[in-house]
Amino acid sequence: MSSFAIERDLATQGRVIAALAERALRVQLRRAQFLLPSFLLPLLLLAVIASGTSAAQQLPGFPSTGSYVGFVVSGTIMQGTLLAGLMAGIAIAGDIEGGFFDRLLSAPVHRASIVLGRVLGTALIGVAQAVLFLSVALALGADFKGGVVGVVLTITLAALSASAAAGLGATIALRTGSLSLMQNLFPFVFVLLFTAPAFFPRALLNPVLETISVANPLSYVVEGMRGALFDSAALGSVWAGFAAGIGSVILTCTLAVWAMRSRVRS
Amino acid sequence: MSTHGLAYTGSVGFALWRRSLLELARVRGGLLPTTVAPLIFLLGSLGQFGRLDQLVGFPTTSYIAWLVPLSCLQAAGFAGGATGANLARDIEAGWFDRLLSSPAPRPLLLLGPVMAAMTRCLVPVTVILIAGLVIGPGLTGGLFGLLMLYLAAISFSVVASLWGITLALRARSQQVGPLIQNGVFIAVFLSTAYTPLPFLKGWLAVAAPYNPVTYVLQMGRQATVSGIEPSWAHTWPGLLALAGMILFFGLLALRQLRRVDL
Repeated sequence: MSSFAIERDLATQGRVIAALAERALRVQLRRAQFLLPSFLLPLLLLAVIASGTSAAQQLPGFPSTGSYVGFVVSGTIMQGTLLAGLMAGIAIAGDIEGGFFDRLLSAPVHRASIVLGRVLGTALIGVAQAVLFLSVALALGADFKGGVVGVVLTITLAALSASAAAGLGATIALRTGSLSLMQNLFPFVFVLLFTAPAFFPRALLNPVLETISVANPLSYVVEGMRGALFDSAALGSVWAGFAAGIGSVILTCTLAVWAMRSRVRS
Repeated sequence: MSTHGLAYTGSVGFALWRRSLLELARVRGGLLPTTVAPLIFLLGSLGQFGRLDQLVGFPTTSYIAWLVPLSCLQAAGFAGGATGANLARDIEAGWFDRLLSSPAPRPLLLLGPVMAAMTRCLVPVTVILIAGLVIGPGLTGGLFGLLMLYLAAISFSVVASLWGITLALRARSQQVGPLIQNGVFIAVFLSTAYTPLPFLKGWLAVAAPYNPVTYVLQMGRQATVSGIEPSWAHTWPGLLALAGMILFFGLLALRQLRRVDL
């Protein structure tokens, strides 16, 4: 089979995506510098916010969700998936600087498969994060009225969020090819997080932030998670969450494939 | 120590301090991460949790006044931690081995990075303070409060740099960088970061009073929080906490330095 035919063979490309996703998972789960930001840091912030700002439930207009940790855990999942996306970008930049990326390009592999492999690996990390963070929230006293269905929907939204973040991370890494630049992007993850109602209801955000949050697709994803977990349309629309999540994945992955083509051309 | 010895100590310390600062001039945007991250946390936390100042009994009516000293301390900690990461890079590149083989006393080799941390932290701390003062209610603690905030931040950068140096000497790899910064992050946030002690719930309410950073924050908050008026009672616990941390991490760093073989 010619290399052109291999690139067009869906089954082969499916195996390539699976193999690259498995590699992405192994790299991200084996190294402490990837694990710490993706898993430990969000858990730490969850613990600090749940204990440090739980008095917020006394504020007029704060929705009643029982335990405060149940309300903020959606923000923690969002934070984890964004950081996982950044780690994916860092790993790609590392592959570019280390030469592995050039070896991938010389193989008969479709360009989109290289991006999708990384995105799939990060989506699986998003699933693992959501399972862990929701388990911790349950252990700390959260009561999810949405039941198993709500939890499954939230985990799916987490996978979408991680995929979109990985697409964005891949786009920047492929455009710049710089490991040090990717590492310096860490604070900017928090811009995306803090411009969404990650830890507070939208109505209680600072008015400026409330206006900005309307344009941030993550707002709808995090509210969709809350709506699913507590089976409450007042907390957020699950459908809007899925629409924002899927739209973000398509947009960021398309940008990443374009960035890949432009890197190959240059 | 003789006058000659003192002069020698000063010249070596000054040369290493100058080298650390020259890096900032050479690496464009070198201070950006330590400035931008706490600034984003400041504005983000204000946007998310700003309504907490409406809680009955909150010591200020402006939440940014509560957050500014936290962000200043965080910035100082990150600037201090960065010197540890830079030392790890020097170790990997072999530069530190050359310093070890020089006739300079080993503790002096730590003096330069610590002094550089103290200097470096002034930039992000001042940027954050100005941003906070522009948005917030101003310096309610006057000149004394301002001095206490700077003293708290500069001393905390020393603590963070000693922590970073200890880890860098132990790991001898740049991969220790995230661990250094995460340590600073944990120390700062397991305190009265977002709300005062009476508002904390659960395990943090138990842990925060035992975290020395809680008292360093109280010392710095004399500058901006109207409910924490400038006084010796709000100062000495912070000074004691800083002295204890500097002694503890200083001894750890020196112990680790003694273990380094050429």
